[in-house]
Amino acid sequence: MRDSIYLAWRYLRHHRTKTLLLVLSLSVFLGLPLIMRAMSRATQQSLLSRAEATPLLLGKKGSSLDLVVEALYFQLKGAEPITKADVDGLQAMDLALGIPIRTGLMARGFPLVGTSLDYFPFRKLRMTEGRGLAMMGECILGAEAAEALGLGPGDALLTSPSTLFDLAGVYPLKLHVVGILEPSFGPDDEAVFVDLRTAWVAEGMGHGHQDLSSAGPDVVLKRKEGTVTANAKLIQYNEITEANIESFHFHGDPSSYPVSAAIVVPHDEKSGVLLRGRFVDAETRQLVRPAQVVDSLNKQIFRFERILEIVVWTVGLATAVMFVLVMVLSWRLRAEELRTMTRLGCSRWKAAQIMGSEIALMVGASVLIAGVFGIVMAQYGETWLQTLILRGS
Amino acid sequence: MRMARPTPGRAVTIVVMVALVAMTFGCSKKSDPIPASGSMQPAQASIYAVNYPLSYFAKRMAPANARVVFPVPPGVDPAFWKPSASAALEFQSASLILLNGAGYARWTSYATLPQARLVVTADGCRDTYLRTEQSVRHQHGPEGAHAHSELAFTTWLDLQLAACQASRVRDALVAQMPEAKDSVALGFETLERDLLDLDDRLRSLGKALGNQPLLASHPVYQYLADAYGISIQSLHLEPDQELGDDDWKEVDAMLEQDRAIWMLWEAPPLTATEARLRERGVTTIVFDPAGQSPAEGDFLSVMSANVARLECATGVKPCR
Repeated sequence: MRDSIYLAWRYLRHHRTKTLLLVLSLSVFLGLPLIMRAMSRATQQSLLSRAEATPLLLGKKGSSLDLVVEALYFQLKGAEPITKADVDGLQAMDLALGIPIRTGLMARGFPLVGTSLDYFPFRKLRMTEGRGLAMMGECILGAEAAEALGLGPGDALLTSPSTLFDLAGVYPLKLHVVGILEPSFGPDDEAVFVDLRTAWVAEGMGHGHQDLSSAGPDVVLKRKEGTVTANAKLIQYNEITEANIESFHFHGDPSSYPVSAAIVVPHDEKSGVLLRGRFVDAETRQLVRPAQVVDSLNKQIFRFERILEIVVWTVGLATAVMFVLVMVLSWRLRAEELRTMTRLGCSRWKAAQIMGSEIALMVGASVLIAGVFGIVMAQYGETWLQTLILRGS
Repeated sequence: MRMARPTPGRAVTIVVMVALVAMTFGCSKKSDPIPASGSMQPAQASIYAVNYPLSYFAKRMAPANARVVFPVPPGVDPAFWKPSASAALEFQSASLILLNGAGYARWTSYATLPQARLVVTADGCRDTYLRTEQSVRHQHGPEGAHAHSELAFTTWLDLQLAACQASRVRDALVAQMPEAKDSVALGFETLERDLLDLDDRLRSLGKALGNQPLLASHPVYQYLADAYGISIQSLHLEPDQELGDDDWKEVDAMLEQDRAIWMLWEAPPLTATEARLRERGVTTIVFDPAGQSPAEGDFLSVMSANVARLECATGVKPCR
């Protein structure tokens, strides 16, 4: 048997191009469904595990999927915001911890996420470099964002303007990078985290400017009854520094400022049930269980996957027929070679063994390639597929 | 002779090894990372306070195994302290952060603090906070130029309000350390009694003063005035600085308007200032708001001395 395998191996090596083409086409035939299933399962599992790790989500009434996608995966879906007062109100019920999430802006292509300190221990995120957020104007980067941007503690990062051609719009805010998060193999890796108030400043709801009480006449339009009106020359800061941090302020009541959603972590099971009960009849707010929402998304993905599988198997069947055809034609072309082998004393059984070994080696190599490729894709293609699914959802 | 020949097994082994190495590198994680926020709670409860009165209240009630920290350096007014990033991170590591409320310690509005562990002690203790008469940007002390916020924030000068703040500290301590409930409650009882005794004395003093106005060197006595019915007009003078002509003009204008014969100072003024005030018929009375740790004694002894000085100067009680 070893000799048959050796002869088959030498034959395949001699006809490298033909062997390679056959192995590759077989790998695709075997690998495609495997890869698709592995990636799909890994993605579904990853989506679900993040959703399951998030007990409840508070948001404005509307599409629960948009809310989950925006608050958990930071993909902007335009979900209507709630207010900081909603989060404070939730906290005041003393039934759960409310973690605000503010998305909406980007920083050099990565989502800017405004949140509170409670987010990091909640997601079990740890620093690999630098320190956590301490002051307004600071940011910490997810592992992938840091690597892609080539930034580290001590560097600066500009937020992207919300509207490129709006000259009167909000100017970018220069953020100070103070830390890098350890890879968590999820959406947190691609995020730029800031304090909630920093996110509001970046959105233009808060600002800092030079002291008006000591400003010269070139800046001040009028002073009347303790009110100073400045002209457009007033210098507004686009960076929060130790020197100007005290000048940053918000006009209006910050409790009315927008929050995309709030992650709700009930103190215990009973508190969770009580909370859900309180929001059952809420007219403008919804308290959703992300796991349920993602589960229904997964079911849709599964249905789509079934259709795709049928297509893939049909293509696969055609590939298999082609493979058989190639092998049959190849044996016909090798009729003279087989006759020579018989004349040299080789039995018909031995010849069949050699041919069978050739097929076994090619199929084996294809299975191996498909398997390795499937594992690698499940490992690295998950994020790509996850992004594709969430953007398309 | 048997020839060493290449086998298909060798190729398979190479492919498997490459795949294993790739997966090993793909899955590797660094060890011993640092928490993303200083919000990991320590085993020993640590209570951080933004001013001295709150740290005093916490110390009076907290069990022995709790650590009460007031990190503002001596000589710096805690209301205008600007902590470094490392100091803010230290606050993040606290089990409990006691804030005063009414916009006190402005740094807490721009530092990143764990919301779930913040206790705003004065919130809910009264319907509305008092407002300052004016907001003038000025400079004194090592913390540089500052403007008093629109809300008056020395809430603890109303001793009933201080007792209410202490009750919030008690509730937070009990929630944090339920096993120490009894000792915390006992500590609160004695503290409340001490505070309300002082409150009684100040109430009697307020009644005795009637409509007699007082001047104050700094706008920090709003709650004292409001709680005890004392008429207090505030200036912006520093005890350790010599008063300029403009300051004296302002003092004279106030005196002409209010005919005050007593003036409250946060600390003893310069001898020259005291003498010139005496020339104008004004007696200086030191009433230390005790926002910062005293050099001697504690919050209660400082407040008791404040009240005694007021009683003595106004003749409500004989001087000791």
